[in-house]
Amino acid sequence: MTANPRVWWLQFRQELDELWVGGKALNLLILYSVLMSITAFLLATNSELSLTPPRTMIVVTIQSAISFGLFLGLIIASESLSGERERATLEPLLLTPASHRQIILGKFLAALSPWPMAYALTIPYVAVLAQGDLALVPALAWGALLGTLVAIVFTGIGLVVSMWSNSSRTSLFVGLLVYLATLLPAQLPGEFQSTAAGAAIQAIDPLEAVRVFLRQGFVDVRPVEELWPLLYAPVAVTIGVIGAIFLSSGGRLSLTAGAPRILSMVARRAEGVGEHAT
Amino acid sequence: MQHAVAPPAGAIAVPAATEPILVARDIHRSYGTRRALRALSFSLLPGRVLGFLGPNGAGKTTAIRVLTTILEPTSGQFEVGGISSEHPDRIRRLIGVLPEGLGFPRHSTGRDYLTYFGQLYGRRKADARQTADRLLADVGLTARGDSLIETYSHGMRQRLGIARALVNDPQVVFLDEPTLGLDPRGQLELLGLIREIARDRQAGVVLSSHLLSEIENICDDVVIMNAGQIVAKGSVAEVLGQASQDPARQNSVRVRVADLSIAPAESTIDGLAGVRRLDTEPGGWLTVEFVDDQGAPVHDIDRNRVLDALIRAGIPILGFEVAGGRLQDVFLQLTAESIE
Repeated sequence: MTANPRVWWLQFRQELDELWVGGKALNLLILYSVLMSITAFLLATNSELSLTPPRTMIVVTIQSAISFGLFLGLIIASESLSGERERATLEPLLLTPASHRQIILGKFLAALSPWPMAYALTIPYVAVLAQGDLALVPALAWGALLGTLVAIVFTGIGLVVSMWSNSSRTSLFVGLLVYLATLLPAQLPGEFQSTAAGAAIQAIDPLEAVRVFLRQGFVDVRPVEELWPLLYAPVAVTIGVIGAIFLSSGGRLSLTAGAPRILSMVARRAEGVGEHAT
Repeated sequence: MQHAVAPPAGAIAVPAATEPILVARDIHRSYGTRRALRALSFSLLPGRVLGFLGPNGAGKTTAIRVLTTILEPTSGQFEVGGISSEHPDRIRRLIGVLPEGLGFPRHSTGRDYLTYFGQLYGRRKADARQTADRLLADVGLTARGDSLIETYSHGMRQRLGIARALVNDPQVVFLDEPTLGLDPRGQLELLGLIREIARDRQAGVVLSSHLLSEIENICDDVVIMNAGQIVAKGSVAEVLGQASQDPARQNSVRVRVADLSIAPAESTIDGLAGVRRLDTEPGGWLTVEFVDDQGAPVHDIDRNRVLDALIRAGIPILGFEVAGGRLQDVFLQLTAESIE
């Protein structure tokens, strides 16, 4: 019996069923909508006091949508494989001749699926807050593009963490730490952000780079040509994460997660050196 | 089993029934410094059920995981249907597995679950759906095929798990503790199903279980493991014979009488010459140990004297067996020796 060449599609559909019919994705979208409603309400209140111009509100809303939206993929991906290990549903999957890389691809795409829905939910909020500003459509388009990039990054990080974890709690915790770490640069003092070190951190952190790109592009109205360097980090990290998934899933997925293969190899080599030394 | 699932295109031909379908040679598996499997070697013919027995921690599950390609052996090799363990992807197409404590998706129906796995093994959707329906009928779940798996009882889930293990028409089926947690009726039904899998499909079945009496009834061959190594193997009769060669085991018989007859039976047996000890066990069983004449086994005539005396005393005999003649006795004896 030959393995199905479209395993990724089968897995994708199976995961979609579990996510959407099972209600997990819907629950996360409800939470997302609540957060977006609070954000929009606060911005609208400021607007009534003439404190925040429409363009700033567009950018802040899109920035919030990206920050909250990428978290959906991170949560779902973080517990995808570790959760299957906990529920003892991974073993039958590993017992089939299906390609593990395709299984991972199916899971990855399914974990990414709430992002477009979340972004679509954002559009009415931004449209109301824009108050007819012409920046609405291009800002939404750039937000969709950049948001998709960082959603891929964070979903991918969640998946890689999940591959190496036996517990969904552990992988969720690690995913949350990564998420918080990327939010840190925005909390740094303004003086530090204007230094070379601050600029470097902003350039490395894909989420911060996207936030800065949107602010400078639509609030400060700087030409896109000047902003290209800000996209290096998101693009490079996206490629890096996809590469990491590709490499990680290249070997066999294991029933019990262990250290990454490269670490195991280093550990074995170190043991070998130790044995020779004695 | 009413239906035989036609092998899909590309299936590898089943070797002749005289050739082993599963051969394990000197397999070792360690976890760090702990040796979980040592020198595991055995073979299995098509259409036969092999019981994998052993106390907790004996290495049964590790052995099954190695033989099903989930774990790599530290050393040694095995073949399934003539395919070497160096080709795990090809082996996975030939085996079906019901792992211990198998989990199921929460929001899938039994039919969709089997269809999905059929497709993973390369069946087209219509074929996979047809196979799912046949397998549901085989395991008696047709009426619940469209219900969510989360509404299934434990026994129904085990049967669905067996159906999933058969979805690729495997040559060897591994079942790890399939009767665990089932009520007696569920255990009997499942064991009957396992017997049918071997008989109707001519598949080799490796059955890991703690239910020794049931194993004794449905298994053709037995491998008894303890502390990661095999302590006995062969056909059930061979393994039983291996233990009954022990003279000490042949010096006892067990007789079962009705509760009301226990006291008269005790007094009758006590009066017999050559009886060294008499123990009463729950269920009306009396264990009679004869005088051990310098390690020589007691002659059959001595055993018959017990029966003769009870019959003459008018005591109805409900059961009789030579102590050590059951798989449970062999299991306890061999695993205890190994521990010592």
